[in-house]
Amino acid sequence: MKLSGVKYLVDQGVENVWKNKMMAFATFCVLLISLLLVGASVIFYFNINSMIGGISDKNEIAVFINDKADKARITEIGQDLAKIKGVSEVTFESKEDAFNKMLVQMPEYEKIFESLGNDNPLVDGYRVKVSNIDEVPQIISEIRGLNDIYYVKASQEFVNVLKELRRVVTMVACAIIAALAVVSMIMISNTTKASIFTRREEIQIMKYVGATNSFIRTPFFVEGMVTGFFSGIGAFIITWAAYNSLFELLTKQVNVMNVIGLGNIIQFSSIRVYVLLSYIIAGSFIGALGSVIFTRKHINV
Amino acid sequence: MVELKNVSVTYSSGVDALNNVSLKINDGDFAFVVGSSGAGKSTMIKLLLKEINATSGVVTVNGYNLNKMKRRQIPEFRRTLGFVFQDFRLIPSMTVYENIAFVLRVIDAPKKYIRKRVPYVISLVGLQAKSNSYPDELSGGEKQRVAIARALVNDPKLIIADEPTGNIDPELSYEIVELLKGINDCGTTILMVTHEHDLVRHFGGRIINITDGEIVFDEVIGGINEA
Repeated sequence: MKLSGVKYLVDQGVENVWKNKMMAFATFCVLLISLLLVGASVIFYFNINSMIGGISDKNEIAVFINDKADKARITEIGQDLAKIKGVSEVTFESKEDAFNKMLVQMPEYEKIFESLGNDNPLVDGYRVKVSNIDEVPQIISEIRGLNDIYYVKASQEFVNVLKELRRVVTMVACAIIAALAVVSMIMISNTTKASIFTRREEIQIMKYVGATNSFIRTPFFVEGMVTGFFSGIGAFIITWAAYNSLFELLTKQVNVMNVIGLGNIIQFSSIRVYVLLSYIIAGSFIGALGSVIFTRKHINV
Repeated sequence: MVELKNVSVTYSSGVDALNNVSLKINDGDFAFVVGSSGAGKSTMIKLLLKEINATSGVVTVNGYNLNKMKRRQIPEFRRTLGFVFQDFRLIPSMTVYENIAFVLRVIDAPKKYIRKRVPYVISLVGLQAKSNSYPDELSGGEKQRVAIARALVNDPKLIIADEPTGNIDPELSYEIVELLKGINDCGTTILMVTHEHDLVRHFGGRIINITDGEIVFDEVIGGINEA
């Protein structure tokens, strides 16, 4: 086929989008929502992964000591901790240090802390670094076996929460994607059907004058692709806006950021190009594929 | 050239539409196919367009054996034919020019050729002034002339006209047949289905009468104007 012929068919396809604007708009909306939900799930997934990664870097266990233990006992515990297999570093953190740290981290609670006066509610503790993150649960149980231990806290536990969250999100996302795939296909099928119906005479005449199947199908293919392309652009714009406002909202929440770690939320600017490309490619592909499948089904060429 | 050898068509409902029909129309012929409705005329047309297949027998059109033809050969085969329908079948959203150019676009003709060829066939049917009109703005006779121009544009060996005068005023019918006769004089084979006996009697020529799925009459008669 010559280039002018291809151009003619592409023009026809683009024109069809306009001719069937209501159906095209419906398909656009369904594709947009599908892309948005899938995109949001994927971006969320990557963020959780990033958070898990960031927290794993810390691989630190906080050990709090019973406040009845005296200085000598505390030093002894420190030595015991260092002896545990897999522990790479043990740092002492006095209750005064911990209190000052807390004051800095939670300035809004300053008044409450002031009311406590010199009565520091915190306890002395150790920060234990572990060389291999997989050994954390075992090391924790060993620490708990020591005497005079008040409480053991590991960020590993938060990692487990995130991992569970990731599992649930993945499952829910898969279910949504499957349902939306069906809905999108039905919508595209209907749009294609409507498009074929409005052009049935033309198609009939095309067949009589010897149009090849691909000649008849190409405009529908283009129509689906164009609709999908715009859905991709739309989904990108909405994702961009939503992500940035969510990002701002989250980064303002100091408490949340303390847990997650500021650097662990992905900046939109760093994934912008990938998000745009994925949306456009996915949208165009689904649109075109749907059209091709249903043109085959509805036009008995 | 059209050739039917012992062709029968039985629809899945059990109706025998054509029963052991043999027929030969040579290149350059002009033939009227007459018969009452339900006699098998439409079945024969569908057969020649390869819309349906013969239940038995051999159908040959323009050198293609339609029985053995593969689906993907159909477009190539149909490009050797021209069709004119009773209901014109022009695309309402296209002008006269576009309706005709459309056929050439479908067969992927070069743009240059389209720009030369389309005005030429429009002038053949005498519609130069209506080139940019839409089908709705034309009379029935004019619409059918556009349809004839469209059938003519890719220079087919055979034009099949299915009741081309069925939807237009009787006095204009003669004009349409004259036009087809003129095309025939230039060497194109024409097969015209009609049930207007006045028209057939007026022009004469080869008359094929199909009744109850069989050819009951196939002879050349003299027309009134030639007598």
